[in-house]
Amino acid sequence: MTWMSLAPWVMGAGACGRSRSELPDHSVSLEGIEGEIVGPSMEAGHLLRSGGAGLPASPPEVQELDTLIVGGGIAGLTAGWRLNGEGHGDFKLLELENEVGGKSRSGRSSISPYPWGAHYLPVPSRESAIVRKILEEMGLVIGRDADGEPIYDPRHLCHAPQERLFVGNRWQPGVSLRSVAEPEDAAELAAFESRLRELRDFRDEQGRRAFALPMELSSRDPGLLALDRISMAEYLDAEGWTSPRIRWYLDYCCRDDYGCSLDETSAWAGWHYFCARPEDSEVLTWPEGNGRLVDFLRRALGNRIETSTLVYRVRSAGDGGERVSVDTLNLKTQVTTRFRCRRLIYALPRFTAPYVIEGFDRSLSRSFTYAPWLVANLTVDGRRRPSQNQGYFSSQTAWDNVLYDSRSLGYVVATHQNLSAYPGATVLTYYLPFVDLDPVSARTRLQQASWSELAASVLGDLAQAHPDLVKRVDRIDLMRWGHAMIRPVPGFIWGSDRRHDGLEEKFPGILFAHSDMSGLSLFEEASYRGAVAADRVLSC
Amino acid sequence: MEANPTDPVGRSGTPSPAGGQVATPENGVFARALLISVFVIATCGLIYELLAGTIASYLLGDSVTQFSTIIGVYLFAMGVGSWLSRFVLRELVTMFVRIEILVGLVGGLTSPVLFLAFAEVSAFRVILYGWVTLTGILVGLEIPLLMRILEHELPFADLVSRVLSLDYLGALAASLLFPLWLVPRLGLMRSSFLFGVLNLLVAVATCHLFADRLAARRRVTAQAWGALVLLLLGLMSSERLMSFAEQRLYDQPVIYADSSPYQRLVITRKLDEVRLFLDGNLQFSSRDEYRYHEALVHPAMTYFEQPRTNVLVLGGGDGFAVREILRYPSVERVVLVDLDPLMVKVFRDHDELSGLNGFALRDPRVEVVHQDAFIWLDRLDEQFDLVIVDFPDPRNFSLGKLYSTTFYQRLTAALRPGAVVAVQSTSPLHTREAFWCVNKTLKTVGFHTLPYHATVPSFGKWGFILAAAQPLDVAVFQAEAAGRLPQGLKYLAPGLLPGLFLFPPDMGPVDVDENRLNNQAVVEYHERGWKATPPT
Repeated sequence: MTWMSLAPWVMGAGACGRSRSELPDHSVSLEGIEGEIVGPSMEAGHLLRSGGAGLPASPPEVQELDTLIVGGGIAGLTAGWRLNGEGHGDFKLLELENEVGGKSRSGRSSISPYPWGAHYLPVPSRESAIVRKILEEMGLVIGRDADGEPIYDPRHLCHAPQERLFVGNRWQPGVSLRSVAEPEDAAELAAFESRLRELRDFRDEQGRRAFALPMELSSRDPGLLALDRISMAEYLDAEGWTSPRIRWYLDYCCRDDYGCSLDETSAWAGWHYFCARPEDSEVLTWPEGNGRLVDFLRRALGNRIETSTLVYRVRSAGDGGERVSVDTLNLKTQVTTRFRCRRLIYALPRFTAPYVIEGFDRSLSRSFTYAPWLVANLTVDGRRRPSQNQGYFSSQTAWDNVLYDSRSLGYVVATHQNLSAYPGATVLTYYLPFVDLDPVSARTRLQQASWSELAASVLGDLAQAHPDLVKRVDRIDLMRWGHAMIRPVPGFIWGSDRRHDGLEEKFPGILFAHSDMSGLSLFEEASYRGAVAADRVLSC
Repeated sequence: MEANPTDPVGRSGTPSPAGGQVATPENGVFARALLISVFVIATCGLIYELLAGTIASYLLGDSVTQFSTIIGVYLFAMGVGSWLSRFVLRELVTMFVRIEILVGLVGGLTSPVLFLAFAEVSAFRVILYGWVTLTGILVGLEIPLLMRILEHELPFADLVSRVLSLDYLGALAASLLFPLWLVPRLGLMRSSFLFGVLNLLVAVATCHLFADRLAARRRVTAQAWGALVLLLLGLMSSERLMSFAEQRLYDQPVIYADSSPYQRLVITRKLDEVRLFLDGNLQFSSRDEYRYHEALVHPAMTYFEQPRTNVLVLGGGDGFAVREILRYPSVERVVLVDLDPLMVKVFRDHDELSGLNGFALRDPRVEVVHQDAFIWLDRLDEQFDLVIVDFPDPRNFSLGKLYSTTFYQRLTAALRPGAVVAVQSTSPLHTREAFWCVNKTLKTVGFHTLPYHATVPSFGKWGFILAAAQPLDVAVFQAEAAGRLPQGLKYLAPGLLPGLFLFPPDMGPVDVDENRLNNQAVVEYHERGWKATPPT
């Protein structure tokens, strides 16, 4: 199964023969279904590609401040939250979009809030101290257990049933290695689990775990880092693990967390997925997904956030003790402003740096590649009586609903955490990472596809499990993420480009903070990078 | 338009020379009439198939399976019918009319037969597929016969092209009509009869237009009319038949049935016994509901000497628990929270049914709130000295949330010092694990509990749990509490009370997990229990 099998839908034309007969016809009728494609503002971002042509070289209005944060994703927001919490008031955060949150943004329909991207946070391990502090400040910790570990309010832990898998034309509970494995996979399963325990229990001489979150706290044992040089698929081949079901599950995990197929995910990243978090760790989730976390951080920053602001040029401090200068354009008022600051926290993805930071050579960001994603929010009517419901919004529907025969990740149900005894209308959030085509081509295709082409592909994919969904959807809203996730391809995480040695010496005054610096697009990594940058501001 | 055909097909079955009468006007009428009937027949045929598929999905669920298997069986049966057509050698028109009558009857009765079969017969699937096969065979006979009747009226190429295109056109008409107009406007029962009637109109019209081609003309014509009248009668009484069909699902006469956005409410009565079903699940029988409600309310009401004044009832929109609570003159206010306004409407405003709860819901001390209990409780800033928790059994994950640690935790905030809670906790005999899971869950959030049970013949052994912030002692029921019981109870006699707290070994405590939102253990226990001992 390849991306090409999806291409006819995305392309909308019957250009390529479909290789999978079980995929429904793509000529789904969208009659009576409304919707639109929402942000992110590709135009504004692409303005940068032209080198900021037409924008003033030296904006007349100048603002002085100690610290400026550019980028209102989780890294930037956490940096601001940290500064604020430490009483450092002289800073601002600039965001290109009209709201902060980055890939954790959320939306709202008449039925429920819903996520536009990240939709859950695993209960953080001890190493994720920043995340724990955020959750505690949010009031989600209701006590401590005997070991002093936080107890989270069960309202915000994902309610049961958490996951189900559509396979062989029926739903089965759970999505895990054990739930997909058949009796003949027993030997491989046992071998995999035994390796997993080994890696999970590993401690090096300094007491570091093999795979930690944040990943900077992981062991540097050369044998472990060598895993980064091969793909997870190559690793499985080397072990002789061939079960298609086990491979399906591992591939699903890689697509889910990294936007990469098994062939393109480094084996280090692959094992990180399984080992970095405690066994059977639970997840925190909300109707709006990680929008809940964004909302908390945003409120902590108050009026220090300026949205709809394009940063089009950054000049580092240089030698003469000058300040960092940041030229911006307010997209609403079209006013340009130059900010002069002691410290700049550059909380934008690295691929933007050559377009924004003067003297930033493209070769420094070339190995940073990003997976494009399509996220769809389907507003589903609840007019039918719950007692008649058999399908997706019945009371038996899980939070996360995965399709075995699909390159999508299935959907999550926004109203799952609702405490109502009667399920009704809901919003389903559908995720499709484009993993089988190189990111540049996939991005182009995603960008060229129309709303109806994409909406039909979403409905067509879900129709295998929910043939009547098309009749019950009122709206389909779509988000095209051109650069949704940094891709942990082999060699990236422990290669020299990501480690950015000497980068900050080269660009004095600029502190970089983004999850792509970890090679893992995770809330824990983004918040860690943000907090580290903030601590640097505070310490010097 | 008197037809005077010269071709004696109907009478003799002897074929006329090919192309012989194509041009005559009489034959034009004959052919045109039969071609129109092709369209009607095709439409009807597909409608019957769609009806069977829809009813099977509606009654059995899993629409993909139902539609796939029904379409498959139906098409196969049509093939059988087409094959069987070779054995019809003579009297083609007569045979066609007879088959038309049968198709009309069998197809037209699809809905009533299937609905009644589901209620009455355990082998519903046998009847379903049998009926679909019979319809398919008859429908499969129609087109081959028609083509043979018409074979001398039209050139072969023309015939095949016209008959088949009309056949497919009819299928299109049916498949559009069915979801867009028939199901939403007419419903399954009426649609079924209506298309049976259309089939029979074709039969009747054929009888009259081509009377001289029929053998046994009078008999066949009479049969066609008879069947038509029968189906018209069915069409006119569709409404009544539908409720009759529903009645068959219950074993007593239905006296009231209505749907709210939340559930289907059906009330039956036989002699003096009234029963309430929600979505097909028995909620009470008037013959023994007092046992359940006396057991639910009075131990909690009498445990403390301090009289209860402010009472909260969660669930229980039937008003029976409120009736028991209002026996105590100390009660100043009862807040009843039930999501479904229909329940309260029926048990407060319906004169006869509200008599069952002694018009409790009309009492000025009672305030009714229509909200989801958990969500209402979350926003509550009032406190009560007694709470009756009377939710439906935790038979799904949505209801399971109302039995969770988080729910009970929130409930503690609604309690005054010295308050008591009584929780309906499903059957400790049938679903022993679920019962003790509720007990464990209450204890996990800090309640002290006293589990007890009562015998309610309609339900079997039923379980309840008394819960409070302070330790509870069953000895209270041996002495003072019994003396506080109100007059006029039919089940709870003072001497009986302490016995309710004794659990025989087959209902005794088991080691279970507490029910949390993120494990919903009680749902699994409940399902496991009822699977082992299905409700009677």
